This record gives sequence, structure tokens and C-alpha cells, in this order.
Amino acid sequence: MGALQSLPGRPEYSDLAEKTGFSFEQIGVLHKRFKQLSHNEETLRRDHFNEIHDLAFNPIRTQIIEAFFDRRNFHQDGEGKVQEIGFEEFVVVMSHFRPPSVHMTEEQREKTRREKLRFLFNMHDTDNDGTITLEEYRHVVEELLSRSGTLEKETAKCIADAAMLEVASISVGHMEPDEFYEGITFEHFLKLLDGFEIESRMTIRFLNMDTTTLCK
Amino acid sequence: MEDLWTVAVAVFQLWMFVVVFFITLPAMFGLSLGVTSVYIQILVKLLEWATIRIQRGRQEQPSVPAPLPNGIIERAEGSMEEEMEQLRRSRSLEGGEFALSDALYFCKKGLESIVDDQVTQRFSSEELASWNLLTRTNQNFRYISLRLTIFWGIGVFVRYCVLFPLRIALAIIGLSWLVIGTTLVGFLPENSVKYWLSEVVHLTCYRICARALSATIRYHNKENRPQKGGICVANHTTPIDVVILANDGCYAMVGQIHGGLMGVIQRSMVRSCPHVWFERSEMKDRHAVTSRLRAHVAAKTKLPILIFPEGTCINNTSVMMFKKGSFEIGGTIHPIAIKYDPRFGDAFWNSSKYNMVSYLLRTMTSWAVVVNVWYLPPMTIQDGEDAVQFANRVKSAVACRGGLLDLAWDGSLKRGKVKDAYKEEQQKMYSRVIVRQNGISATHTRRDDQS
Repeated sequence: MGALQSLPGRPEYSDLAEKTGFSFEQIGVLHKRFKQLSHNEETLRRDHFNEIHDLAFNPIRTQIIEAFFDRRNFHQDGEGKVQEIGFEEFVVVMSHFRPPSVHMTEEQREKTRREKLRFLFNMHDTDNDGTITLEEYRHVVEELLSRSGTLEKETAKCIADAAMLEVASISVGHMEPDEFYEGITFEHFLKLLDGFEIESRMTIRFLNMDTTTLCK
Repeated sequence: MEDLWTVAVAVFQLWMFVVVFFITLPAMFGLSLGVTSVYIQILVKLLEWATIRIQRGRQEQPSVPAPLPNGIIERAEGSMEEEMEQLRRSRSLEGGEFALSDALYFCKKGLESIVDDQVTQRFSSEELASWNLLTRTNQNFRYISLRLTIFWGIGVFVRYCVLFPLRIALAIIGLSWLVIGTTLVGFLPENSVKYWLSEVVHLTCYRICARALSATIRYHNKENRPQKGGICVANHTTPIDVVILANDGCYAMVGQIHGGLMGVIQRSMVRSCPHVWFERSEMKDRHAVTSRLRAHVAAKTKLPILIFPEGTCINNTSVMMFKKGSFEIGGTIHPIAIKYDPRFGDAFWNSSKYNMVSYLLRTMTSWAVVVNVWYLPPMTIQDGEDAVQFANRVKSAVACRGGLLDLAWDGSLKRGKVKDAYKEEQQKMYSRVIVRQNGISATHTRRDDQS
């Protein structure tokens, strides 16, 4: 403490910067936020997320929180859920929302796109079997639409079924009347959202870090 | 050895003499020798120099993020409907249809809340744009120059070895005077002399306590000062708010009875002048509380009540929801806005991090307490307004005057969680986007025809 502090070149930050593509300052800011959310502990748990008040507004907050504890999003080819995460996993999940940098090759752009879509897919595929079944799809629609108010349960069910039918017709083409559509696989998902500009829509932009304000 | 002892005693006596005659007595009469204002001016010059030095240092060695007042991420300003429109138009979807990409809007909003939200940051100390040479606020600032470090060192010495003993002595004198004085006044029969004496005792004691914090208080709009029989509401940052406000007038306090030292002070205060102290069990019963307060207000000769409607300490960057209980009592409301200058010390009491004693010690070892108090013109409930709307109106007035952010969130979120009802609001909004005027059934039959 005091006026003399250790130098800012923390080695963990440079590793993370390499891995996730965030800048040094952005990782510093995220670390401060991590400490604030975890009350200065080393790991974050689900109830820490539940304390964020703005998040309580969100109809799919359970899925969003689960996404942070889902091993599939940690880029380590793991599966299943964990109970608590450290700062590294926090930043890795956050990196799915990194804005595309200008100096990206076509290949990198495609890779980022796949990653973002994979994140979205994992969020809805809750039982981890690689497909979004009708049940899971219905669940998403129900979460997003109102349980209590403007729509009845039947209507919500109809919307979900209609949407699922649409998805089936796009991915599989014409189906026989007795064929059963198992669910949306990741490949179907990619085809569905082909042409959708997910790179720009699924991003969080940090404000410019260089502004300093003078003491009044 | 003997000589050393006598020297020490002599120094101590001299020091006490200075404290009593040059600080305590003038304070009691509301006079000031001007030492504090000179001190504050020197401090301001020093902090400005320090800021410029730190800025220059930061330009030479970058890569330390500065705290930003508007949050750290860009947020889209549009409402849910507008953004959904954009999202769906890019997919050429019509009303009544649903797509997984709709979830993206909520996903993004959720992530934004996780990175930066408006409420959590109100319950921790405000981050300063530049270091104010106190160790405790030194989060991001590294070694810049030798001169800065020297000033910091001198600051530590001055604060801990010179100012701190002075302040402790004054605080002890002030509080003992309060207890003794109010107990003595309590023996008198109920007449106007007693009330006048009790006001004098309270005023002098609070003035001594204000000196104990090196408080510089600027009162604005004194013509709006609360009169007898009114209710004063103010934004709450710290228990010291009471000292700050009571320096300029007598109030009847409202609160819970505590044990220990606080309890002794509270019990002696109520002997000389009718404060409203509640037992813990009584606080739960809202009707009992309201009726007692109503009875107090109805007696027009009693002192104005001081209430903090937020219910908990907020960090003085914003004003949170005013609880409607205080606004249901009736009578005129006198709003007061209090704003602390964060450069001289952090006044916010983070009760989950520090207990009362360590908080007081931290405050007494800061540079000073510099605070602006604005008296707002009195407000009454208007026709057709209910208590909640009235409370919000008062809250906006206080926030506007004090230069604070006006938030609708409840301060008790510090300790509890948000109810599920908020989630349903968003769900309703989204379902309205999907169910357009054409209705769902039209799309549904179209599907049936195709398959």
C-alpha cells in the first residue's frame, strides 16, 4: 500500500490477454468487477450472481448464470457443470462477447462466429446432449414470454411448436408425416442463423479507458 | 525520570488548555478562530498539485485504468421494443414468430448487468478520479514521484499524530458534556427555561463534535430551515449526518434504542427533550411507529422530527428509494440534501465492512469532513397523490439539489435480493412484442395449411 505499489505487469494478465483477446486494461477492469461481485473472495458462485439487481429483471437470467458455470464454455473441451469459477473462467466466458477487432482474417472471423453461436447453443441445450429438443425450445419460449399475464400457456405452447416446425422445415427440408424431429443440432443451428450478424450483435464494448478527469 | 514525567505532565496540561480554550469554548458559542478554513485551503492547493502530478505521471507510464463515472461499458439507449425491432428486421421475421435470436437481446442485457450495474456500486465507497493522498483510497495509483511520497508521509504524520489525538479529546469532551448536560437539564420542571437550556446543551455538544471531525459545513438557503411541528427528511450517508444537521438547529431524532454507549447517550438525550426512540420489537409494527410519530407532529410545539427515509447508508453518489412510511404521517415535509466532498475523506459508512468504532476512527484520521447542506422549500402531499408518488417527488427534489443520481431502487437491496415480480415485467413486455395486432392465430393457420 502507500504511494509505492508493485509494477502493473502482472504475468497472469498477459496470459489471459493472449488467450482471450482482451486488452490489459480491460482485464484489469474485469478483475475489479470480479472482486466486487465475489466480495473479494477467490471464486464466484451462483448466489453471487443472484445478488446483481439489474440481472433480476432478465427473464432468462438462470440460463445466463448457468452459462458461466458450464464447462463447455471454458474452451477446454470439458463437459458438465461446476459449482464455482475463478477469475480465469470468468474472463473466458466473457470473451465470447468481445467485439471483433479490425485486424481479423476471414478464418479468425469465422472462428469467432462459431464460438459465439456455440455459446448461444449451449445456453439453450441444457441437458448437454448436443441437440436442442422440442422440450428445451419450449422452455426457452416460456421463460421469455409471460407466465402470468398477456399470454396463456396454450398460446405460448403454440408459438413454440410453430417455431420448431419452422426450424425443422429449414434444416431437414420436407418431412414425412410420421417422422419425428429429434431436435436442433449445432449444424442445423448454424444453418438457421446463417446470415445473422452475430459478431456485431453479441458484443459488449468497453468505453475508452484513456479519459481522465481533473480534481475539481 | 522524574523530570521527564513532570515535563510530560506540563506538556499535557498545556495541550489540554489549548484544546479547551481555543477550540471547545469558541465552538460552543459558534465562533471559529479560522484555523480550520486555513487548513482546508492549504489542503485544496495540495490536492490540486497532487492531481496534476499524478496525471503527468500517468501519461508517462500508462496502462493503469482510471475509474470512469459513466460505467465501463457502452450501453444501447433504446428500449426493448426498439432493439427487438432491429434484431428481428435483420432476420426478416414478422410479428407472432419467435426465433432463438430473440434470446440474444436478453443474453446481451444480462451480460451487461454482470459487468456493470447501477446498484451494487452504490454500496461501496465512491471511487475518486484522482488520489487524495490517503492510504485507504490508494487503489490504482502507483509510485509517481518522490515529492508526492514525501507529502503523503507528512500527511500520515499530521493526521495520525497531530490531528487524531486532538479529535479524540474533543469527541470525548463533547459526548460527556452531552450526557452530563442533558441529565442535569432533565431534573428541571417542564417549562420554557428547560427547553431553551436543552437546546443550548444539544447545540453546544454537536458543535464540539463537529470540531472533533474537523467538519466544515456550508448551509445553503437557511430561510427554508425547518420549523416546529414539521418533518425533515434527508439522504443518508453516515451516522455523522445527525451531527452535521444538528449543528444548525434542534431536531427530535427517531431511531432504535441501542445498547452500550449509544444507549446511554440516547437515554440521557431523551430526558431533556422529547426524542422518539423505539424498542426493537416496536419497529416491526408499522402502525405503532406511525401513530407515535403522528402524535409527536400533532403537538405543534415539539421539535421537528428528523427521518432518513432511505433506511440505510448509501455512498453519497445517488439517492435511493424513499420509504413511504415517513410520508404517510402527514404534516409538512422539509427536505434536506447533504453532499460530502469526497476529496477530503470518505464519509460513507459501509456497515458490512466496518463496525461503528472502526468507522469513526477512519473518519477521524481523514483529512477533514467538508459538507454542503441545502435546505429545500417545504413540500406537502398534493390532491390525488399517494404516499409513494409524494415520496418520489421529494426524492427527485433532493437528488436534483444535491447533484446526486436519482435511483428508484430500494436501499434495503444492500442486504436482500430482488423479487421475482421484476422478471415478470420484462416477460410481459417481450410477449407484447411478439403478439402483434395480427394476432397469433393467423400465423398458426398459415402453418397448418403448408404442412
